Amino acid sequence: MVEEYILVSPFELVLFIVLFTSIILIYRVIFGPTTPDRIVGFNTISTKITVVIAILAFLKNEHVLIDLAIVLLMVNALGSLILAKHFERGDTR
Amino acid sequence: MIEYLFLLLGIILMISGSLGVLRFPDVYTRLHASTKCDTGGAMSILIALAMVSEAPMLIKVKFLILAFLIAMINPMVAHAIARGAHKSGIKPEGVIDVYARDGF
Amino acid sequence: MSRIPHYLKERIEEINKRALLYNYEVHTLPKWEKVIITWIALIIFWMIVSASIEWQNILVGTIVTFLVSLLMYDMFTNDIRRKGNVIVKALRITFLYIPQYIFIMAFRLLESNLKVLKHAILMDINPGIIKIDSDLHSHTGLTILANSITLTPGTLTIDTVRQLDESKLYVHWIDIETLDRTKAGQIIKGGLEEWLKNIFW
Repeated sequence: MVEEYILVSPFELVLFIVLFTSIILIYRVIFGPTTPDRIVGFNTISTKITVVIAILAFLKNEHVLIDLAIVLLMVNALGSLILAKHFERGDTR
Repeated sequence: MIEYLFLLLGIILMISGSLGVLRFPDVYTRLHASTKCDTGGAMSILIALAMVSEAPMLIKVKFLILAFLIAMINPMVAHAIARGAHKSGIKPEGVIDVYARDGF
Repeated sequence: MSRIPHYLKERIEEINKRALLYNYEVHTLPKWEKVIITWIALIIFWMIVSASIEWQNILVGTIVTFLVSLLMYDMFTNDIRRKGNVIVKALRITFLYIPQYIFIMAFRLLESNLKVLKHAILMDINPGIIKIDSDLHSHTGLTILANSITLTPGTLTIDTVRQLDESKLYVHWIDIETLDRTKAGQIIKGGLEEWLKNIFW
């Protein structure tokens, strides 16, 4: 009855590597010189989180999570578009 | 066997995208690294998942739909961010800038 | 036509051509074909997203997507070029043009990823923004061209200017090779524009 949480399949390894790359990108979100730099880092992290959710849906055999990934992708795109429209007025704060 | 090749390619592209976002000098070049490598890495990992998954056919297609949506949405967001950054007055690295010369 | 002076003839031909371009709605698809194309696309999307093949589900999906396609038939299909028989053209788009596009774009995407890796390690960049021309003048065709340019190696579209005779695209190039507009257009667009002119305006 004991579930083992050790790295057994290569997909879990891929999951941890993708999480590691998104942790590296937090540097760009915190120390970015301008606000669009921060938006670039944020958008990249969100796409990687979408991939992580898809891998979890495969590992746990919960196929509802794929729909969740699609919805997260669309909401993320909408948020980035609103922020980009906000920049066009010349206010970078 | 071929799905692990796709996984390896996806990992390499994801790491190179992060490296590019960290090392490039301004917003536009960072957008190059972010858009291309993220799209390629995510698509190859999702194709590998769709190959190795033992779900019924209609659920396997959902992974491919997710990959297709990433390939459609990611360039659009990059284009919007680049246009907004240029209109808010951030100068690109380098000398040649036809877009500012034409008065936008 | 023989009484018109020679210097006016070219001008009149140019105005005629431009008037033909202005009302290109004459050459788009008729209404029922637009409705049917939108309906089929929406049914396929419904089947994939709902992921079940029971007959109640398919019945509900058929009715709802028919109502939606009656309302929104103009959105995706307004820019498709009308040429030749409908069924032959639909088969040709499905089995020839779309696999060709996927095949081209997969290899361009892989090449662009490896190029970004090379630039990130060696840092040999020379960035700048240039302007290229395009013959497409519809919303859908220009959008697909701009998104494809963003995924091809070394380029990123910043803005598009849509005009009837010639559209312009502003492209951020990470390693500038030439400043000439036609030569840069040949390098950046490749075969994509000829491919898109088969389907869209």
